[in-house]
Amino acid sequence: MSTDLFMLLLKSLAISGIVAFISTFIGIVLGFSLYKSDIKYRNVFRLLILIPLFISPYILAVAWKDISVLIFDIDTSLFKKTYSFIGMILVHSTIYSPLSILIIGSALSNISKQMEESALLIGGFKDMFFKILLPLIRPSIITSFVLILIFSISEFSVPAFLGIRVFTTEIFTQFSAFYNHNLAMLQSLLLIFICVFLLVSERKRISNSVFLSIGTRGKEVKLYSSRKIVIFSYIILSFTIVFTVFVPLSILVYQSFRTGTSKFMEALSLLLPTISDSTLLAILGSIISVFIGFVAAYYSEVLNKKLMNLMLLILFAIPSTIFGIALIKFYNNSILNFIYSSFGILIIGYVGKYSFISTKLIGNSIKQIPKSLEEAAVIQGIGFFKRIRKIIVPLVLPSIFASFIINFLFCFGDLGISIMVYPPGTEIMPIKVFTIMANAPESLTSSMALIVFLVTILLISLLFFIFKKIIAKYNVNY
Amino acid sequence: MSIIKLKNISHWYSDNRVLDNLNLEIEKNKITYILGSSGSGKTTILRLIAGLEVPDKGEIYIQNIKVSETNKIIVTPDKRQLGYIFQDLALWPHLTVYENISFSLKNMNKSEIEGEVKGILSLFGLDDYLQKFPHQLSGGQQQMVAIARALALKPKILLMDEPLASLDVKSKRKILDYIVSIKEKYDLTIVYVTHDHREAFAIADNIVVINEGKIQESGTAEKIKNSTNDFVKYFIEW
Repeated sequence: MSTDLFMLLLKSLAISGIVAFISTFIGIVLGFSLYKSDIKYRNVFRLLILIPLFISPYILAVAWKDISVLIFDIDTSLFKKTYSFIGMILVHSTIYSPLSILIIGSALSNISKQMEESALLIGGFKDMFFKILLPLIRPSIITSFVLILIFSISEFSVPAFLGIRVFTTEIFTQFSAFYNHNLAMLQSLLLIFICVFLLVSERKRISNSVFLSIGTRGKEVKLYSSRKIVIFSYIILSFTIVFTVFVPLSILVYQSFRTGTSKFMEALSLLLPTISDSTLLAILGSIISVFIGFVAAYYSEVLNKKLMNLMLLILFAIPSTIFGIALIKFYNNSILNFIYSSFGILIIGYVGKYSFISTKLIGNSIKQIPKSLEEAAVIQGIGFFKRIRKIIVPLVLPSIFASFIINFLFCFGDLGISIMVYPPGTEIMPIKVFTIMANAPESLTSSMALIVFLVTILLISLLFFIFKKIIAKYNVNY
Repeated sequence: MSIIKLKNISHWYSDNRVLDNLNLEIEKNKITYILGSSGSGKTTILRLIAGLEVPDKGEIYIQNIKVSETNKIIVTPDKRQLGYIFQDLALWPHLTVYENISFSLKNMNKSEIEGEVKGILSLFGLDDYLQKFPHQLSGGQQQMVAIARALALKPKILLMDEPLASLDVKSKRKILDYIVSIKEKYDLTIVYVTHDHREAFAIADNIVVINEGKIQESGTAEKIKNSTNDFVKYFIEW
């Protein structure tokens, strides 16, 4: 390995390590504030704090670049030398902190009230927090750190937009600009090895811990109503929402409309043709991912056959751009060209990359269904498919929908795979934004980012509305 | 006359042997209690009879037909003509009482299914709860629904895995009376697992006391009460 490559790897690992550390720390503090303090309007806070997770990373990159330009006058200040580096950490931490809050909050909600109360009787709050609560959620803290490290080191759009040379951008440059496929493949293998190693060792260590529960029912959660804790929670949550949601969005709105509505309209006319294809592709990708995720989860949790789960985990750990290269190498030949030159290649990319998310979410729900519910049906002669359709699926419906929405978000905002494999003549939203914003004025870039954000929020709201109706129909909230 | 026979059954969970060369015969149309402390292997016996576990060694016969043998299920659980009431009752939480009971009824039209379900529920005085969900019922009512569901397929054998553990004494007594009456009405053989010897003494025709996967004593309540086996004496003293 050359010194340059080694330094680049160290730099990428350092940035991602810092991002993972900051995000996980925020996840612990805000996870506690959101899930364990006795605050009012908890659901509103939760929704607002999760917004960055719904936004494609490059949108926040655009917003923070605008802020840097407006506030720090990037072109003249000393800040210029490091703003990209700091900017990437800032944007990634903003995006991935909500994921950490979800993972750690989910673990905090699963701790028995009695455990905390018995600790409070013996020691004080400080002892309970550091000696009981933190050790109990340690698996989730590790999961959060490792997942975010992998997400960050694999992410392509933010370093590409901010012009930072990290491993993913380097691989893309070698492959697409210099056509040095061998070097790109070598770098890819190195990154795959690191990601798979991290994820497999994390899974091995905490393979049975629940990484994210959807709808933990019937559990009594200890809420802390001490004035100090509640006020601290309000302050820290409000500050985070202002800093990670309102400031970047306000800047996008300001930049989009500061010279009138012309740039926004121009951005809208550019992006409008891409909305339907992007939505359709993301929906198709999510449906197939959820189906595959369900099958893998059932095999893994009920039948104890983990091979499919492991394969999906490895695919998930492969950075998007590298996964794209692998798809090109496999499908770009005379036999499989009909897939390579169609939307099919994008769907395969999305499904391969993101099905693991469904497996984990649905798997955690299946794990919580008492074995006896299915056994009772077996004894009564209910066939396999009817058992799945009438018992298992309705019981894990909230997780199925949650994983559909998360998959949809990933597919809809995907740039890493799409930029490598999108077929000629295809117009999907992230590609369009990414290619135009390279040479576009700031106001047009901001307008496009704002439109992508608005479309995403609109589609997510629509999906929530539909799913809520279906869940109510199936009486899943028993 | 025995309806269930377990011959030389041994069973392990990982390295832990839960049943050790066990031989057991369950008499037809009787209520047989399997008594034992936690981890004694009593639930495993029920699961083996039901076909939910494969024996690591030995053979199981139901109505003189070999249903399981070493590492093999010969007759699948649904073909063994038995009902099973789980410790946690395993009522499907997203289905109403009516749906829970009608779920397994096949080859009937809608009105036949309705008649069947209503007939079973009226036996338990649950006619007004057809459209309720399990969480809307009391603990005792949930037990009744679980029994009604198990009876819907008209089984010959009813396996009950400590289903009354969470009930108060009064509700428990009421359901035990129901169990005795349904046994007569449906001509059932009941195998009931519990750690509560008072419950067993109250209604059992036969009692099998088990410890560490081995039978310590078996026979009528009177025989168990007068047993000279140290474990049995210790167990029923408590």
